[in-house]
Amino acid sequence: MAKTILLVDDSVTMLMSVKNNLEINGFKVETAEDGLKAMEKLNAGLKPDLIITDINMPKMGGIELIKKARALPGFRFMPILTLTTEAAQGKRDEGKAAGATGWLVKPVSGADLLKIIKQVLPGA
Amino acid sequence: MAIEYKKNLAVFSDFVGVEEAEALLEWFLKNPKGKINLSDCVHIHASSLQVLMAIKPIISVESKDEDLKLWLNTVLE
Amino acid sequence: MNNLLEQFLSEGRDFLQGIAEKLMQLENNPNSTPLMTELFRFVHTLKGNSGLFDFPEMTRVLHASEDLMDAVRNGRVNYSQELADQLLEAMDFVGILMDEIEVTEKIGTKHAIPAAELAKALRALLGNPESETAVIEDISPKNNAVISWADLPSLKLPESIAEKLYRYAIDGDAVFWLEYKPESDSFFKGEDPFFLMRQVRDTLWRKVVFNNVAQTLEEMDAYSCQLAFQLLTIAPEEELDDLLRYVPDETKRIEIPALAFVKPQGNEDDHPIDVEFINNALILLDVGDFDALTHAINTMLELSASELWSSSALRWVLRLIESEPDNKIAQQALLESLQTLIAPDWSEIAQTIPSTNTTTNSSTSVNSQVPDDSLLLGFHEVMNTQREILSLSPHLSGAWSEGRLKAVAATLLGCYRAVNHDYESETDAALQLALAENSPAPLLALLESSLADISKLSETPKLEQAELVAESAVQDANFGRRAEDVTAVAGRRSEDATAVTPNKTLKVDQEKVDRLMNLIGEMVVAKNALPYLANRAETVFGVRELAREIKSQYAVINRVAEEMQDTIMQVRMMPVSFIFQRFPRMVRDISRKLGKEVELVLEGESTEADKNIVEALSDPLIHIVRNSLDHGLESPEIRRTAGKNAMGKLLIRASQESDRVLIEIIDDGKGIDPDVIKNKAYEKGLIDEATLERISDQDAVNLVFAAGFSTADVISDLSGRGVGMDVVRSAVEKVNGTVGIESVVGKGTRLYLSLPLSMAVTNVIIIESDGQIFGVPMDLVVETVRVKRSQIRTIKQKQTTVLRGRIVPLLSLNDLLARNVEPLTNEDDEFATLIVRVHGEHVGILVDNFRETVDIILKPMTGILGGMSGYSGAALLGDGSVLIVLNPRELI
Repeated sequence: MAKTILLVDDSVTMLMSVKNNLEINGFKVETAEDGLKAMEKLNAGLKPDLIITDINMPKMGGIELIKKARALPGFRFMPILTLTTEAAQGKRDEGKAAGATGWLVKPVSGADLLKIIKQVLPGA
Repeated sequence: MAIEYKKNLAVFSDFVGVEEAEALLEWFLKNPKGKINLSDCVHIHASSLQVLMAIKPIISVESKDEDLKLWLNTVLE
Repeated sequence: MNNLLEQFLSEGRDFLQGIAEKLMQLENNPNSTPLMTELFRFVHTLKGNSGLFDFPEMTRVLHASEDLMDAVRNGRVNYSQELADQLLEAMDFVGILMDEIEVTEKIGTKHAIPAAELAKALRALLGNPESETAVIEDISPKNNAVISWADLPSLKLPESIAEKLYRYAIDGDAVFWLEYKPESDSFFKGEDPFFLMRQVRDTLWRKVVFNNVAQTLEEMDAYSCQLAFQLLTIAPEEELDDLLRYVPDETKRIEIPALAFVKPQGNEDDHPIDVEFINNALILLDVGDFDALTHAINTMLELSASELWSSSALRWVLRLIESEPDNKIAQQALLESLQTLIAPDWSEIAQTIPSTNTTTNSSTSVNSQVPDDSLLLGFHEVMNTQREILSLSPHLSGAWSEGRLKAVAATLLGCYRAVNHDYESETDAALQLALAENSPAPLLALLESSLADISKLSETPKLEQAELVAESAVQDANFGRRAEDVTAVAGRRSEDATAVTPNKTLKVDQEKVDRLMNLIGEMVVAKNALPYLANRAETVFGVRELAREIKSQYAVINRVAEEMQDTIMQVRMMPVSFIFQRFPRMVRDISRKLGKEVELVLEGESTEADKNIVEALSDPLIHIVRNSLDHGLESPEIRRTAGKNAMGKLLIRASQESDRVLIEIIDDGKGIDPDVIKNKAYEKGLIDEATLERISDQDAVNLVFAAGFSTADVISDLSGRGVGMDVVRSAVEKVNGTVGIESVVGKGTRLYLSLPLSMAVTNVIIIESDGQIFGVPMDLVVETVRVKRSQIRTIKQKQTTVLRGRIVPLLSLNDLLARNVEPLTNEDDEFATLIVRVHGEHVGILVDNFRETVDIILKPMTGILGGMSGYSGAALLGDGSVLIVLNPRELI
């Protein structure tokens, strides 16, 4: 049973790169270009097993997305990872405080990606 | 479903996720002597783990997963 | 060209375009935050994307640009024309690189130097050109310190697992103790702490603790994480760090040294191992004859039951001999532990510098000598009883039956035999005479004369024994329970003199005693409801008779409850020798290290106090003793020049003063120079110039307890001992103790701690303020007075009054609790004022009214309220209401 991951990033390049990596590893991937679009998908009934989101995005950023998603029914316990750069220690903490499970550091290699997802997603 | 409730027995299978804990607790409140079958269970989310620790039910069949069995043995004896 | 690269280039060009546009717009509108945020996001995303490929030159320039824009966005660097030019130049460079990538799919080496120069120029605008690498942070948890014995968890492992772990540690595999206590809301962050722990590899021992906060299962919240995980693993450090990187604050990792696993366990032996065997083993160890030692131990093990504590200890000795043949100190400590059945304290032994000829000072003769002494005590006791029986009614004719006389005679005979005196014929003669006369007189006469004889004979050995015991108490203080053991044995023997009784000591789990303690606490509170009830019976229902009966029943329950409470307190009592026992070794080791000669004298080790108090004493005492050795006592040369005995003296004395324990630490060192302290305190800004002039010598010495006084330079250049004394003070105050210091320069220092015997019951005065009642601990209250409004003066905007010639500052409790209400006065316009002692000063607290004082069981606040230091806790009153107890020390 393939796990579904919702991937949110405003850069199409980044979406493409991470999506590729995830699909190679057998995940089903949905994408959104910002928090607003991600919320639209969630409201439309998408129920991923994991959300990976960038923080700095136009319209709705990752922190707001985490807070909004957590308030939806069925999302309070969902693992959520933020996608940040190595410089953004503050962002990582902010993400955790908003309810993120952990973070991924850009650029993320396929091996790292898989390792971390396995850690937060039992059965992956 | 990761937990199937029978008359006096809860059968756990695969990965018991976080959503199950509340229902599990309620089931135990209704069936205080309920037993559990862990045979095909590989993992129990921490929330359900603490429910089990609070109830300390009888395990009718232990898990086939050796590691899970080790952990549960230290917890539920 | 692959899709991803194509996408990168096309999106990248859009970003470059966007960056150029935003920069232009900023020229006209340099303070626009939205523009700035957008610009940063473009640069940030572009840099992130470039990292997906191997284009270090591009990433380098973009990274520097991102940092610069971040600084501008946060206002650390001002936007300027020059900055915009520099950024545009950088983006142009990135554009050139993109063109090249489009053709060749790589970046030529010729761009390396311009890239470095551009990055440098951008960073120059940041003001720190060298910081390129500084932004890469270490994400591994930093709170995992190196080994410290004090931090080690106390492990209760099965011996087989302990052995395994010990061998791993000896073989150089780091064994880590991992403790993980997830936040209670961790499930709502998508975490599964159990799953995380299961991913730790090579776990050799594990434990989960569930701390259910709910009273009943119905109230349990399955989604509030109340778990704590503990495990021991030999997984590599980096792997653990990596796994736990999201929860560094909730985890603790300690590397456990091999010796920590060496912990004998098992049943306490009924018959301790023969002292002879231990001495023999120690000698064999000393001469290094491991073969003989191993043989002797194996033989002993065959003879003993394997589940005994001593057998476990012996097995450990064998393992140490096998794995660490050179660690004689550890082997010796284990062998010595066989005498006390207390596992060696490795933290102290680990500090010891190995020395080859450490001799043991076990005194074999003690056990055989002491029982005689206590036997005599028992003998006297029985004799006294017989005397009482005989003196009951000397001439009541007929009352003295034959049987009673015979019984007394038989008892006397038994007693004489027990103390090895042959009075058989005398007793027989006296009995015959008594029977003939039908009078107890002959037996009484025999009793008195024999008593005189026997005590004369036993006087000499008694003296010797006393010396012996005293000596061994000093020498063997580090052997823990020695003194108690001896009395225990002695006590049992004296009982044997009259009847054979089994050992009546019972081992009880501390939790049970604590539970009992809580229950009796509730009982005390519950019984306090009875006077209320009596009062109601009289005033509300008008049944005076019933009220009186309730009161008399209350008196009975009250007495029983108080006695119960007393008894339970006594169960919790523990001699201070528990902490004193470590000092001989500590003093020896430290003084040797410092090259000082110190004689340690311990007094009053049998003084008892509540377990919690004794345990709370431990750290402060160690601190103080270390300070005395470090800074108080001088080196032998200095002492000689000062005309003192080369050997310094350190006295640690415990004594009981009414309901408090007094601990004194007295040294005859160089004392504390008040002038040095004054100046130091002034330099540190703890006192102002005016105080510097006026302060008395004693007050100056007391400054060592001031927070912030102790710093590293104090240690190095000052005779004083301000090292962490504020820590000592606060530790002692936490258990309602006080600490004081007296010092004479050149003569020495006396530090004293005064602590309550028990901490179960607190006496508080109830006060009213703004319609509420509060408790204030009586030990802080000096007096209660009523202050007339006219007697209140305002000095420097502070209200004060003069009380017995002393200026006392006044504070309103309402103000302290941030309630904007004036305190009430009585008809005579007087304020109810509670004078409390806080940090040695008297302060008046204005309240509305005083009420009675009550004994309460103070429960500390928990949860969010636990963080409010202005309150020391809450208690239930007899009428069921809750009393909040204030903590004036923190409140003021």
